[in-house]
Amino acid sequence: MKKVWCTLLCAVSFAAASSSALAADISVDTSTLLGIGQRDVSGTKKETLLPATQFLGVDVDKLADGNLSLHIYGWGRADLADKSYNSQKADGSLTYGYLQYRFKEANANARLGRMFIHEGIVNEQIDGLSVRTDLPAGFGVSAFGGAVVHDNNKQHLYGESSDGKGDTIAGGRATYRYLGMLELGLSGVFEAKAPALVSHKSGNHRLVGGDLYFSPHKMVALMGQSSYNPETKAVAEHSYLLTVKPFEPLIVSAEFNEHRTGSYLSSSPLFSNMPHFNPTDRSRTIGGSASYQASKNIGLAADYKHYSRTLGNADRYGADARLSFSDNSIRGGLGYHYLRASQGFAISPYISASYHELRGYLMHDTKGYFAALDAIGYLFKEKIYNERIAWEGTVSLGYHLTPALALSGDVSYGRNPEFTEETKGLIRLTYNMTFEGKGEKK
Amino acid sequence: MNQIKLTISALASAGLALVLAACAQMGALPNLPASHPEALAIGQQINCAECHEDQQKGTLKPYKAFNHSPVFVKNHRFYAASDDRLCSTCHKSSFCNDCHTNKVQMKPSTKYGNRPDREMQHRGNFMTMHKIEGKLDPASCYRCHGRANNERCIQCHH
Repeated sequence: MKKVWCTLLCAVSFAAASSSALAADISVDTSTLLGIGQRDVSGTKKETLLPATQFLGVDVDKLADGNLSLHIYGWGRADLADKSYNSQKADGSLTYGYLQYRFKEANANARLGRMFIHEGIVNEQIDGLSVRTDLPAGFGVSAFGGAVVHDNNKQHLYGESSDGKGDTIAGGRATYRYLGMLELGLSGVFEAKAPALVSHKSGNHRLVGGDLYFSPHKMVALMGQSSYNPETKAVAEHSYLLTVKPFEPLIVSAEFNEHRTGSYLSSSPLFSNMPHFNPTDRSRTIGGSASYQASKNIGLAADYKHYSRTLGNADRYGADARLSFSDNSIRGGLGYHYLRASQGFAISPYISASYHELRGYLMHDTKGYFAALDAIGYLFKEKIYNERIAWEGTVSLGYHLTPALALSGDVSYGRNPEFTEETKGLIRLTYNMTFEGKGEKK
Repeated sequence: MNQIKLTISALASAGLALVLAACAQMGALPNLPASHPEALAIGQQINCAECHEDQQKGTLKPYKAFNHSPVFVKNHRFYAASDDRLCSTCHKSSFCNDCHTNKVQMKPSTKYGNRPDREMQHRGNFMTMHKIEGKLDPASCYRCHGRANNERCIQCHH
């Protein structure tokens, strides 16, 4: 916790100093949230919960020659009364913190620090270096390498001294694109050998794969990815989406996803120790959706998805509507979905996993105050823990103290199979400000 | 032997010439802007085609492909996998990290209780619902909670 905040404060000080010296632009986003609650578990003493959480994001642009920037985001929590969660009264995390240099051409950039990588089949968080650039003739290349970001909580995996991940990681992606109709990518990730665990199973995290974007006509686009696990020597994933836009307000899509459990989930000690983990299993979803923008104020959408696993089959279908009025200052939404799921997906010892889901919300924003109402409810086909319904309603009310500073509060109440009643409160102070230096305005 | 050396030298020279030619052309390759030049309305499903008729520079895909329709929002992972540099012209990384992160303090829907219009995961009583959803499509859980952001999962699943 101390380490995280020292890092954040040092970086902010560095950024502020650099800003004044080099006429940089600084953007600060902070949210201070105070949760209010009480925990009353039978057999233990009643506890008062007052977790105070600070989210802080700082972006410093136009450093040095104007192409260098610094980006930091993280959070810290302190419990002002009893412990709200796990064994620590304070906790925190540095989500990212990196320096970026953007070259003036070819979408080239280099990043150094803690960052997230999204490149084709690769989704990772690293402490290291990443570089990317477009190349002539439609080619492009990116590469990254560094240390794996571990969870430092010693209680992370029960009975283990590590989180099951290797210490170093590297990878990259090469692409080729042709006009606006085709993009092909080849990507891979290679993590150092996973540590041996005492009571958990875990595999080395290594994947290679390809991704595709193909749009032979402006109305049609096919995109997706497939990956292969060289450790298990088997396919890990196929995920593809086809979108068709026959005329402007209508979009129709179809998707296909297949995940081989043994290859896709095997490098996670959490998943490979689940009671239903079966390395020979394959989960597949096939579905479609359609959205229609009836007018600027009304959007309609409907979707269907079929799930199949060794455990059984399921279908989910439903529709949503989004509404906006008064120049978007009043917004609302309504949705209904039904899940028909067989006994294999049910909560033990019940025989049905089917349920209806209903959701609605309404918001009003003005320059002064803002308010929101949100409600979600589930109606189970079969009672769960003797409850037929789970629902929650939230009321939020806030006021813009200045254009950059807002104070708001939420109260939510619900009833569900886990808790007879659940009441939560939250006070939120948000501050979003950009300080511009002498450089050119964005 | 001499022929092999000659072939290697020729290939190396050709390769070097190719790299130099590529480098010489790099300056002509377009760049996406660092940020969107106009402020965009919060809470509106963005329609890029309202202002942009042409194809975007850099990735060359049509702007219309990135209209934030419900289909786009539900399937944004496909777009982010190959075009996150385009996403970053409007969205800071922290926008994505509200959900996709290494460690969270609270559910995104709780953090943004004042923004029910955002498609935040795990609304309402997800404690009950995850017992069904997790068996239905474990890969959808794995994407966020497989190798990170699973401290709370491990409290029970160990």
